[in-house]
Amino acid sequence: MNTASGAHVEEQYSDPTQQREAATLGMWVFLATEILFFGVLFAAYTYCRVLYPEGFAVASRRTDMLLGTVETAVLLTSSSLVALAVRSIKLDQRRVAAALLFGTGLLGTSFLVMHGFEYHDEYTEHLVPGLDFNQTGPYAKAMELFFCLYYFITGFHSLHVLVGVTLMYVLCARVARGAFGPYRYTTLELTALYWHLVDIVWIFVYPVVYLVGRSG
Amino acid sequence: MSPHEHVTPVRRFIWILVALLILLALSAGSALVKLGTFNTVINIVISIMKTLLVMTVFMHETEARALTRLVSAFGFIWLTMLISLALFDVVTRPSIPAPW
Repeated sequence: MNTASGAHVEEQYSDPTQQREAATLGMWVFLATEILFFGVLFAAYTYCRVLYPEGFAVASRRTDMLLGTVETAVLLTSSSLVALAVRSIKLDQRRVAAALLFGTGLLGTSFLVMHGFEYHDEYTEHLVPGLDFNQTGPYAKAMELFFCLYYFITGFHSLHVLVGVTLMYVLCARVARGAFGPYRYTTLELTALYWHLVDIVWIFVYPVVYLVGRSG
Repeated sequence: MSPHEHVTPVRRFIWILVALLILLALSAGSALVKLGTFNTVINIVISIMKTLLVMTVFMHETEARALTRLVSAFGFIWLTMLISLALFDVVTRPSIPAPW
């Protein structure tokens, strides 16, 4: 069904607004499952950190705080770019929207590259449990736990970033071809919600991974 | 002209980004000061503040329907329950040495 405004509405909805709200609600249900997916990893982290506070502080000091901070800034900036992209498409500024989505993709890619460098450094420092982990001393076991959780949390997060980056480039191409407009931008809006959630996960990863035991 | 009742001004997004980056700097800076447990508390509070900024402005939660807001809040409520219930165990269990 096409309304007078030109927006396509599926037959189960009475108007475009209702259709968009239903899609947003569905996306939030999916995001809630994502929150809980990362939630169990954070719960495991909290549990282990309460048990081994000193070991976790020692292990956290081995991560790269500068890179972690830059990565956080990059993701926060990319989130604002994708929010601006959704705004632009609502105003029918397709070229601007495509450029903003491309910028988001580039920032996401740079995040992945920086994380790759981090993983490489940790590998050379023998900090990969199960593969190459040769720390000794009273905190070795706790450090191994920390790095196990570190790889699970950041690994799954990077996988989400990779999916997001791919979506950004695909959407950038689709926006450039004119697939979206002021009446048709739900896909873009929902992908932006996904990207913001990936950003929120990182907002919590940053202090628990990089900032423990940095003082003194 | 846009068919939408409300489009967030660009200025607002930029201010939110500036606020997020300031909070990031505060978070990194406070981590270097010796505050004991408060290092963790401050960092988690800052993370929650950042999340609220992202959710309210970037994710348009203030414009969303009540049902959508409720669903989006519930992911976090379940997460809080998951972590706090898991912690009840480790925090409240006294360590009793084996009697032999």
